[in-house]
Amino acid sequence: MKRCGRLAVGMASLACMALADAGALSAQEAPVTAELPVLLTSCGQSPGPGRVRFFLSRLDLEHEFLEQATAQDLIDRAEAGTPFETVIIVTGASLKGMGAAGVSIQDELERTAALIEEARRRELMLICAHVEGMARRAQGAAPGDNSDELSIDAVCPASDLMIVRQDGNEDRRFSVISESQSIPLILFEKNMELGDVLTSVFAR
Amino acid sequence: MTVAGNGSENRGGGAPLVRKLVLGALGVLLLVTSGLSFYRHRHLEEPVVLSDGVTEVKKLSDYFDGIRGTVNDCNVYFFEGAEPGATMFVMGGTHPEEPAARLAAWLIAENAVMEQGRLIVVLSGNRSATTVTRLGGAYPPDFAIPTDWGAQTFRLGDRWSNPLDQWPDPEVYIHYPSRQYLAYVDARNLNRTWPGRPDGTLTERTTYALLELIRRENVDIFIDLHEAELQYPVISTIVTHERGEELAIFVSMMLSDEEFNIGTEYSPKNLHGLSHREVGDASQAISLLFEAPEPFLDATRGRTTREQLLTGIDEFVMKAGEHGLLFEHIDESGWPIDVRVGRHTSTVLQTMEAWTELYPDRPLSCRGVPRYAEVIAEGLGHWLHDPSEAAPGRLVTE
Repeated sequence: MKRCGRLAVGMASLACMALADAGALSAQEAPVTAELPVLLTSCGQSPGPGRVRFFLSRLDLEHEFLEQATAQDLIDRAEAGTPFETVIIVTGASLKGMGAAGVSIQDELERTAALIEEARRRELMLICAHVEGMARRAQGAAPGDNSDELSIDAVCPASDLMIVRQDGNEDRRFSVISESQSIPLILFEKNMELGDVLTSVFAR
Repeated sequence: MTVAGNGSENRGGGAPLVRKLVLGALGVLLLVTSGLSFYRHRHLEEPVVLSDGVTEVKKLSDYFDGIRGTVNDCNVYFFEGAEPGATMFVMGGTHPEEPAARLAAWLIAENAVMEQGRLIVVLSGNRSATTVTRLGGAYPPDFAIPTDWGAQTFRLGDRWSNPLDQWPDPEVYIHYPSRQYLAYVDARNLNRTWPGRPDGTLTERTTYALLELIRRENVDIFIDLHEAELQYPVISTIVTHERGEELAIFVSMMLSDEEFNIGTEYSPKNLHGLSHREVGDASQAISLLFEAPEPFLDATRGRTTREQLLTGIDEFVMKAGEHGLLFEHIDESGWPIDVRVGRHTSTVLQTMEAWTELYPDRPLSCRGVPRYAEVIAEGLGHWLHDPSEAAPGRLVTE
């Protein structure tokens, strides 16, 4: 298929997902569903949330992206009468991203732990996403840098659902968490399939 | 004893003189041969056979007179599309020791025909830096790409402007206007002198002129092509200004699904002088920077040869990989120049396609430029045209 054709199919698929009803569109039935609006953030300041945000925007799914979302952001929205219903935390760390934000992985772990605790207290759906494959695992890390794995450990075992690009699970890292903690795991193969996954999770 | 001593001095008196003469002659020989090598390198003419799609060739000084007559008054190639649309500016040669960046721009200049929108291409962003190689680095002065009609020779350059054109370096380079302290040598680094200034150094005046071009031509997307060593974490990626995030992520995901893996990184807001930061801040353009892998740049490389430059095969860099010191994979296949150039041409074309999907009222479409698989299958030389057969007025030199 020509390049333009593939691109058109991908975009047409996105457009259809946004327009048609969820039941007819789910390429893959989500084991759990989630409500809008979504608070999107990362644990590790990677560019990963940008990929999730791309699809949330194109699918017109109400969300807010905060680079360094805190527990207070959940409280503020609830007090304003527009509470978040779901929190998506994208795992995998970027030394460049953390450096630009002026934070360390320890800062990120502490912020995320407080955010998760508040989300739990408010009984929000917590989704852990890992969307950049092995490039955001040890393969893409500097020698001695285990910040990717710390980020995963901080979020995934505490989540209600994990959404993971399949090649990031080649060592069954997420499968093991899923099986041991009984957390549903959705694996997707191609980047553009993330749109299908989000459509099925946020079935409207 | 005194006589004997004098005799000894007399007997040896001729030897030091002869030694001095021989060493002096060798010094002169070295001076002449190296001087000739430097001269030939600096004055090697690189032909560009203009694509049918090139509608005009301007000079950078058309946008800022302060660059006129200098070595950095480079050619600016315009491709006006048959239908209106957005304007994209693709630049190679920011760091001329990264040849895939210049060669990808070369393939575009010799083959692109715009159908919708407008394309602007520069092959030698820092032309001065194409006239010198890394001092003390034992770089080859040039390299040749085999083509269907023979070999075409290109200058290999350096990361920094030629000291002949900008000298001396400051003790500390203070970036304008942020006043951020940077390494002294980066006063000659085109990707540390954005946004430039009209009364600055040659390198600062060059970025100022390029930014004037971007502003006056209402460029929507500016792409700065690069290569990176495998020990550098920002590799095989698109670095984007925050205004280009959606576009860069879309391109990255499509390419990673369909052609090759390429990531996305955000331009740090507090790191100044780089194109992905300053062009985005100082103009209307979305600023992107593409990085392809180049083992030639790795500090742990083996022999610094033309072969290594073009094949990207290096057992020492591979060894570094075995020790987990690299941010990109390498094996016995290396990173051939065709692969690196193909990554850039595909990423440029994918950016046009993604832009058109996101902004359909201002499309960009182009034909004639080979994608990744085509460059690898045919070899990039297949897409370079014979200067001796160029139509009148369709041959220029870089």
